[in-house]
Amino acid sequence: MDLTVTTLQSVFRLAAPEAALVLAACIVFLGGAFYQSKCLWGAIAIAGFIGSAIVMFCDPVDLSELRPTVSSLWPGQLTFYTRIVALVGGIVLLLMSWDELADEQAPDYFACLLALTAGTALVGSANELITLFLALELISIPTYVMLYLPRTGKPAQEAAVKYFLLSIFSSALLLFGFSYLYGVTGTTNLAAIHEALTRQDLPQLPALLMAAFVMIVAGIGFRITAVPFHFYAPDVYEGTANGPAALLAFIPKVAGFVALIHLFGFVGPGPILHTLDLGTRLPLLLWILATLTMTVGNVVAVWQTDIKRMLAYSGIAHSGYMLMGLATVSHLESGGNNGLPALLFYLIAYGAMTVGAFTVLQAVSTRERQVTQIDELAGLSGTHPSLAAAFALFLFSMIGLPLTAGFTGKFMLFMSALTTQSQAQDRMFLWLAIIAAINAAIGAFYYLRVVGAMYLRSAIKPLPGHVGWAGALALAVCAVVTIWMGCYPAHAVDFVRRSGQPVYVMDPAAIRR
Amino acid sequence: MLVWLILVVPLIGAVIAALCGRGGAASARWVALASVMINLALTVALMLPAITRLSARTPAPTDAEALSFAPNDVTRIDLLPVGTDSRPAAIQFYVGIDGLNLWLIVLTSFLMVPSVLISWTAITERGNEFYAWLLILETGMLGVFVSFDLILFYVFFELTLVPLYFLIGVWGGPLRRDAARKFFLFTLAGSVIALLGLIGIVIACKNQTGELTFAIPRLIELVQQQLRMEDTRIREYWHQIQLMVFLAMTAGFAVKVPLFPVHTWLPLAHVEAPTAGSVLLAGVLLKLGSYGFLRLAIPLCPDAALSIGVPLLGTLAAIGIIYGALCAFAQQDVKKMVAYSSVSHMGFCVLGLFTLNSAGINGGLLQMINHGLSTGGLFLLVGMLYERYHTRMIPDYGGMAARLKLLSFFMVFICLTSVGFPGLNGFVGEMLILAGTYTMNVPGVSSNLLVFIIACGIFMGGWYLFTMLKNVFFGPLHEPHHDGHVVGDLNGRELAAIVPVAIACIVLGLFPQPVLDSARRDVNTVVKIADAARDRAAMTKNQ
Repeated sequence: MDLTVTTLQSVFRLAAPEAALVLAACIVFLGGAFYQSKCLWGAIAIAGFIGSAIVMFCDPVDLSELRPTVSSLWPGQLTFYTRIVALVGGIVLLLMSWDELADEQAPDYFACLLALTAGTALVGSANELITLFLALELISIPTYVMLYLPRTGKPAQEAAVKYFLLSIFSSALLLFGFSYLYGVTGTTNLAAIHEALTRQDLPQLPALLMAAFVMIVAGIGFRITAVPFHFYAPDVYEGTANGPAALLAFIPKVAGFVALIHLFGFVGPGPILHTLDLGTRLPLLLWILATLTMTVGNVVAVWQTDIKRMLAYSGIAHSGYMLMGLATVSHLESGGNNGLPALLFYLIAYGAMTVGAFTVLQAVSTRERQVTQIDELAGLSGTHPSLAAAFALFLFSMIGLPLTAGFTGKFMLFMSALTTQSQAQDRMFLWLAIIAAINAAIGAFYYLRVVGAMYLRSAIKPLPGHVGWAGALALAVCAVVTIWMGCYPAHAVDFVRRSGQPVYVMDPAAIRR
Repeated sequence: MLVWLILVVPLIGAVIAALCGRGGAASARWVALASVMINLALTVALMLPAITRLSARTPAPTDAEALSFAPNDVTRIDLLPVGTDSRPAAIQFYVGIDGLNLWLIVLTSFLMVPSVLISWTAITERGNEFYAWLLILETGMLGVFVSFDLILFYVFFELTLVPLYFLIGVWGGPLRRDAARKFFLFTLAGSVIALLGLIGIVIACKNQTGELTFAIPRLIELVQQQLRMEDTRIREYWHQIQLMVFLAMTAGFAVKVPLFPVHTWLPLAHVEAPTAGSVLLAGVLLKLGSYGFLRLAIPLCPDAALSIGVPLLGTLAAIGIIYGALCAFAQQDVKKMVAYSSVSHMGFCVLGLFTLNSAGINGGLLQMINHGLSTGGLFLLVGMLYERYHTRMIPDYGGMAARLKLLSFFMVFICLTSVGFPGLNGFVGEMLILAGTYTMNVPGVSSNLLVFIIACGIFMGGWYLFTMLKNVFFGPLHEPHHDGHVVGDLNGRELAAIVPVAIACIVLGLFPQPVLDSARRDVNTVVKIADAARDRAAMTKNQ
């Protein structure tokens, strides 16, 4: 029992980096009410991000003193990954929306961004249903504000309200699923839940568990824009400014996928002898979700003329590819395949290319003239050569051409799907890979249209916007990540592999049908 | 060392050319010319020792040796480790030279020079970007040929898309945007499927042997080891895998060749592309497809190549030969005619490869080089004609031999090489393919019918080319309308572009032996692999 007490006492230290972010958020919130300056509060926010990173690197907690089944937080392998992605993502998102913000809104926007980053980082270490839910809400609530902040008016209002209502609905679904999970196992601690569900003497998993997981997938499916929970995305992206759209395209997906990985017990606090066996139904559920998501996303994107709606559907399609990775991990008979590293790699690649694309849109737009149609980008290579080159790079990465992060990511996902296929008797994952390949070809069609507009046509009405220093910095980060992960991916692959190594020990005999 | 140098030199040239700036087109083209000349020199320096070394090898691998390719001048660098600690494996930068790729590398470096020369005055806008893309394209094409790593091969294969997309899309004709898009999407769709096949064979090897490797020679060796196993379950497994992998690769390579139903991107892309783009597209890029069949599809899936490859691709190639020739005959646009003739001639090439015997594969390999020279030459000449009169329509011309003596001479000459006039390069390749098809021994495939179709194809090639020659260059003089500028015959720069091509055609026609000698061992390796598949097929049939 002594260990339990120490665990409960020291649990707050596990959230020190997140606490630093929230502290910075509080300072910016409070101070921003009295003195409105973009530069000052922006600098403080960046200081907050850096401070949080310093805390993260300097304050390791001795885990041997702690018990995973009691602690509400547990810094596992995924925690480091999530924190790094959240912090770097937070800084890039702050930089990219810099020019879009006026002095009056800037402090609130930055504070919300800090709080949201704290929420994302917290998802990475949440080891308790309540903490996980709190962390997810810590992302959602600032998002509502941010959707409306940089741009006011009817469309932004509609976007914010739409997101608000649907987000609450999805949170309710998630809670509903959590309640079943609690009902089945009698605990809210994730490690304890998985320990209970993987006990050797358990004859069969209760059927209620499947209902719980369906609810959970539905609730989180909203955040990762899985079809059929994607409906809000195009409308919201279209209505809001570029900064919040980029944020919405990236942060909830990171949080959602990490949360799903935790909930399914793919990575956990310690070596579990037997993995949570969800039989054949969970892979099937994720398989269906993945194929639907990528196909609907790609096919509908073909018809879009609005660039932000197109990027929204493209984001949906990319979620489908990532779900493919998740589906292969859930197929336990293929134990220890590399679906999880592939998913985590793709998440970073996706973030770099999507945030980069929105940054370009933000840079070519001005307050008076927002770029919305693909046609408006015509001749961009003549008027803004470097912006056009960056955009082309991100689009080629989305297509999945070699030497960009998108190719390496797709390659890893295909590898994992085909590895799974050859070990399973059925051809399920072979078909998944084929469907994904066809989807990648469909995707090329609409991405190429944008490249064609920029390079092969001349400008009708040249765009007035220009890129500021902050936007340029954000673009540079995205472009460097995209090229680096495409040309020499060894380091990034090593990083995601260490973050996404399944902890369970595979024992095929233990799998129950 | 030289092998990776020929990949790097064009890239450096591209960067310098791009840095010349929008106004620096004049300096960009000198940079481009210098880069391609340096690369040609490097290639020759690579080729001369390689010919002796490759020809000196034993003509075929003995039974004790591994049945696989063994490249020379190898560079291997790990790019992405994918294995575990106990079993290290990596995607590598693995390049080398062997008999199958040596001559295609020479062809690529060689054709780059006329491509730069022909663009000298034709490209007026954004010249620096044009030459930069052209040089990047060279790296991509050479990269495909020298790669001995499966993923590296695919990376270069895909990378050729982007430069050509811009070359066609920015500097092309009136329909350039559609042409560029169609070209990109067709090829990409095929090659994404092919990627699945490439990964599939790697994973199949890993499952069966426990060894994860992306090196092409090692993969072929492993597949051969597996196929020799007596166990029926292993055999059944490989039978299925080969079928799927072969079909997936076919999707990628057939689009590139292009074979009959998926050829529709080619005429449009050729017609709209700037002359340099057409020359390289016909001269080199189409060979990426047939080279893919030869290097990957046949050696990695010999049983499937025999059981479905020969009937399926043989039929498609035969249809393409006749259909391409008929389409070529029907064209009013000279460039479109040459484009369709490519469909027809590449059909010979694929048919030759899929005879799966020594004569046929040698013929297919030679035909790749011949077609690159002849069709590249034809596109050069058509481009020169177009630059003078700004029309490519056959009815607009007549009796041009009286006005443009040198151009007409070279046109007639290149047409002769293209139809396979004895003593010129086309003849050797076509005869070998005919011989290979005639002696081809695949149950269920009528070699006589295929021989007849090839003969028809050769005949029809003469028919449409000579009809075009008659209408455009002979008969009463009928000059297209042009706004008064003086139309002169070929100038020094144009001669520098076309004369080497013509000389190469003669040399290759009279002395094809160095090519055949240096490729002999590797061709025989492929043939041996195919023969083993024949034996297995016969054995299964007897059981």
